[in-house]
Amino acid sequence: MTANKTIIYIDEIDYIYPNNTIALSKVSLKINKGELIAIMGQNGAGKTTLIRTLNGLIRPTNGNVYVKGENNSTKSIAQLSKIIGIIFQNPMHQLFSNSIEEELKFSLKNLEYTKEQIQQKVDSILNKFDFEKYRNRSPFNLSGGEAKKLALATIICRDPEILVFDEPTLGQDAKEINFFLKIIQSELEKGKTIVMVTHNIEFVFENIPRTILMANGKIIADGPTEQVLTNDLLVNKASLVLPQIHQFKLGLKKIGIDVPNEIFKERDMISFINNYLKGIMANR
Amino acid sequence: MSLVKFNNFSFRYKGNEEYALNNINLEINENSFILLLGETGSGKTSLIRCLNGLIPQFYAGYYKGTVEIAGKSTITTPISDLSTVVGIVFQNPENQLVAMNVEHEIAFGMENLGIPSSEIEKRIKEIIKLTEIEHLLERAPFEISGGEKQRVAIASVLVLEPILLILDEPTANLDPFFAKKIITMLKKIQETKKISVIISEHRMDLLVPLVDDIILMENGKLVGYDDKNVIMNSEIFHKLNINKPKIYTLFKGLEYGSTHFNELPLSVEDALNFFRQFK
Amino acid sequence: MSFEFLNSFRFLKKKSIIHRLDPRAKLLFAMIYTINALMFTEIVPLVFIFLSLIPFILLGKLFHQWIKSIHSLAFLYIFIIIINTLFITNNGFSFSLAMIIRITSMISAFSIFFLTVDPNDLALSLISMKVPYEFAFSFSLAFRFVPTIAIEAQNIIDSQQSRGYEMQKKGIINQIKNLFPLLVPLIIGSIKRAFNVAEALESRAFGSKKERTFYFTIRYSVTDWIFTFLLLIILVVLIFIRLQIIIMPDWFNWGLPV
Repeated sequence: MTANKTIIYIDEIDYIYPNNTIALSKVSLKINKGELIAIMGQNGAGKTTLIRTLNGLIRPTNGNVYVKGENNSTKSIAQLSKIIGIIFQNPMHQLFSNSIEEELKFSLKNLEYTKEQIQQKVDSILNKFDFEKYRNRSPFNLSGGEAKKLALATIICRDPEILVFDEPTLGQDAKEINFFLKIIQSELEKGKTIVMVTHNIEFVFENIPRTILMANGKIIADGPTEQVLTNDLLVNKASLVLPQIHQFKLGLKKIGIDVPNEIFKERDMISFINNYLKGIMANR
Repeated sequence: MSLVKFNNFSFRYKGNEEYALNNINLEINENSFILLLGETGSGKTSLIRCLNGLIPQFYAGYYKGTVEIAGKSTITTPISDLSTVVGIVFQNPENQLVAMNVEHEIAFGMENLGIPSSEIEKRIKEIIKLTEIEHLLERAPFEISGGEKQRVAIASVLVLEPILLILDEPTANLDPFFAKKIITMLKKIQETKKISVIISEHRMDLLVPLVDDIILMENGKLVGYDDKNVIMNSEIFHKLNINKPKIYTLFKGLEYGSTHFNELPLSVEDALNFFRQFK
Repeated sequence: MSFEFLNSFRFLKKKSIIHRLDPRAKLLFAMIYTINALMFTEIVPLVFIFLSLIPFILLGKLFHQWIKSIHSLAFLYIFIIIINTLFITNNGFSFSLAMIIRITSMISAFSIFFLTVDPNDLALSLISMKVPYEFAFSFSLAFRFVPTIAIEAQNIIDSQQSRGYEMQKKGIINQIKNLFPLLVPLIIGSIKRAFNVAEALESRAFGSKKERTFYFTIRYSVTDWIFTFLLLIILVVLIFIRLQIIIMPDWFNWGLPV
């Protein structure tokens, strides 16, 4: 088991657009194998530019990106896409086949599998995603939420070591978000590394251990979610708001109810309040 | 005369067998800030399209029943006439900005209606102040940010002076800080201009503190229209698959949920008020 | 050959005398210069015509953008030179040079038009020439969405490459098949967009039976009339020269011996 091994190393990269706007400025980042990370920040802060440097869609103007110890500049996008799978925001930007089965087969094309292996993988993914009933259906007949699920399936079936998501919970209802959570948990169990760009503070606060904040092309924070997303100044700079549970915790403390500092998650807050109310009832 | 009146209205899009809207009966009277909720596919967007006549005039299909906006039938009144009563801001501002610069964009609707130039000038001045886009007049749509595009889209609709403003997921592509700004701006507009605003949104956390009422939809049917407290304490709300506010799920998860709360707190402030009684 | 070429036709807001001219005057400019260039096949007059464009380019502060558009035509020029030199026995190379200068002049003239006409004004100028509003509007709408579609195309390419799609393929048939993953999402996206735009337009009273107010106007100014006059003079002089080419001195008909 190679725990704590650096799998992505971004070394002081800059990215400047042809029209001279600076998208990334001296950005450095180390990600270890098996980590689950959120990248948050204002629109235009550089988040999507940053993830595009991971699989070579964007080549930094200065600095280097190393994936699994090798410099990206020596590899093509096709090569990198075998190790890093990025799922972009809009599933409609990739769907084009006659059926869902074909859509999945297309995703497996450049991976040098035999026909039998491809069929096997497709069957397995259709099952995992509960898409068996849609096997022959056109991808254009899917609802928005299902299309997003299909986009997820097309990358997961390639089994890349690193998964990168751009706004995975946007437009998804509670059930769909739950399904997404289950999928990433199952991938983490397989030892995958997951990076997520998102605005969904509540989801991040509840589920993601490490958060990176970006503003104006720079990383302004990188650490445990519980520290980063409870910091007023940083949260403001990144154009976010404090998580509801944290706001509630602060409010309770102000009233004089002593909430222990380690309470961050919903479950813990519920236990605390249950105990508190039990105490109140008992004293009556 | 009510603002909005649906009378046993049903609609099915041409080529579809299922009804997108099933026997809707809805009457909206006062000026209020309303949240339209429902799972994806519940018919929210279709309902919105009915409010200015897009259904059934623009979207081909089969309908039963009637819809009246401020007394005018949405089936027979031309959409262009209804545009001075109802304004809709659609989901993606990119596809609503049709002009090459912001000033042209805002003037567009008024030009179409033949409103005289002096009036156009007056209204532009007023609306850009209200929506805080004065500094953007000369800019092109692709030069401005998502939040700015959204404000321009809102301005270009408000300028036709509708008494009912509808927004379909206005904060979808915005980051939380700007999402909050836009919703607050909309609340202010609703109060100062004394109009009704209906917002269809997934991000309840942001909206619940500010809205008055909630319209709830499920599978093309209207399953609730009432004060937000009533709706959010209902069984049917609890069962729906929507992204509920954090405070709601928190309090629902308490052991003492049913015995102590007649009404669940809907926001952080509400929740804190509940706890103040113990101190 | 890249999308860079298209970039050099994109309007950029600048303060120059050319930018301030009425779009109709500039359209006239492009058309007249096209006629001018088409009138001659000899190198010398074509060079003069081409050189006379330079002051306009400089006055419009367009030099850099213009150079970019010409430079990306290099491929086309080489092609012309080769074909003409090989297939035209009578001074083929000389002829091809003349053609290149001619093409450059025509493209430059139109380039000046596109680089200096605000798309907002484009629709207005069409309307003033009695083009029906709906037609002029769809014209400017198309312009408006070009950058949007370009960004969408890039996003589609990114999404497909991320799932292993490879841009370079060998063989014509493969290259065509390879376009499907890009074209299908783009076309479907554009159709959806068209619907969204249409319903947004309807909702803002587009197509209302009322008489439309035109809040913005364009007017021909004194500068525009002077400019037009100048263009007409150049045209008349060149027509005269064309008709009376016999009386021109020998060097006028100079061409390379090749």
